Amino acid sequence: MKHLRILLLLAGLAPGAAHAATIEMTVNGLVCGFCAQGIEKTLRKNAATDDVFVSLENRLVAVATRPDADIPDETLREALRDSGYDVTAIVRSDRSLAEIRAGAAAKP
Amino acid sequence: MWKTCGHTACALALAALPLAAAAKPIAFAHGTTVMAEYGAGTMTEVQAFYAPTYRYSFGGGHLVLDSELDDRSRDITYMRFNVLPKRWNLPTAQANVFAWGGVGRAYVGETGEDEFAWNAGGQFDYETRRVYASLRTDLHESSAFSHRIDTLQLGFAPYAHETNELAVWFVVQAREYTGGLYDGTEVAALLRLFKRNAWIEAGLTQDGKLQAMVMFNF
Repeated sequence: MKHLRILLLLAGLAPGAAHAATIEMTVNGLVCGFCAQGIEKTLRKNAATDDVFVSLENRLVAVATRPDADIPDETLREALRDSGYDVTAIVRSDRSLAEIRAGAAAKP
Repeated sequence: MWKTCGHTACALALAALPLAAAAKPIAFAHGTTVMAEYGAGTMTEVQAFYAPTYRYSFGGGHLVLDSELDDRSRDITYMRFNVLPKRWNLPTAQANVFAWGGVGRAYVGETGEDEFAWNAGGQFDYETRRVYASLRTDLHESSAFSHRIDTLQLGFAPYAHETNELAVWFVVQAREYTGGLYDGTEVAALLRLFKRNAWIEAGLTQDGKLQAMVMFNF
């Protein structure tokens, strides 16, 4: 069992291992947590979504995708539009959702 | 509108407030909104709406109106269609124009008869994370009555809430009824709390009566 864990760990560190990315979207109209819950509900329906984080303070919607998965920009814009919001920018980063959450919480 | 507290005093008091989060008849695409309001004994209403897209929703409601002035009472059950013709998504604010209309049946207390009834209304709201304003008008008519309920709400939040935090709002509400339901302007001070998909607000009118609302989105 111990050997298996070590092998799995090494496999995860090896070049070419499955890579999970984070999509960060800047969104207009994000002013109310009660109203913004539709964003999470809509994005979590996508099979490529692993986790979602919404920050009103940072006008940010971040989506962690599953390993080797991505969501096209147009699908993201449509998901936010269906939730009633407008996406102004989309970037893909290597920051984990945990790092983004921590960064948002650290802001005064 | 300002008969109860005097035109100038009320206008100044409301203008002095920073322009809270507004209750909306459309949640989000494939979302359902359920709401119940107790309006100081004059109105009690329950509503449920489903939104196929964020632009419109449909559903129904039940409204009970009891006059403060005489024995007028109405029990109105209706189907309603809500639309969002315009939304402004700004970097740190959102504003909306909603409109709705519907039909139903109304039981008229004085005559004991059921009548065909229709309703129409609209709402404009503007909100940031700290300030909010909404103006709503709701008309209910039948051959036996015509009642319009106009509601102005202004609110402010002591802090800017985050998505999963408890949101706290202090709201002042001014409401007028036509058709002999209430004389003057009913003013209420409300505390509004919401977190995730649950919303509750409660307060007192200038007559010391309870004004309360609960709402859920899912």
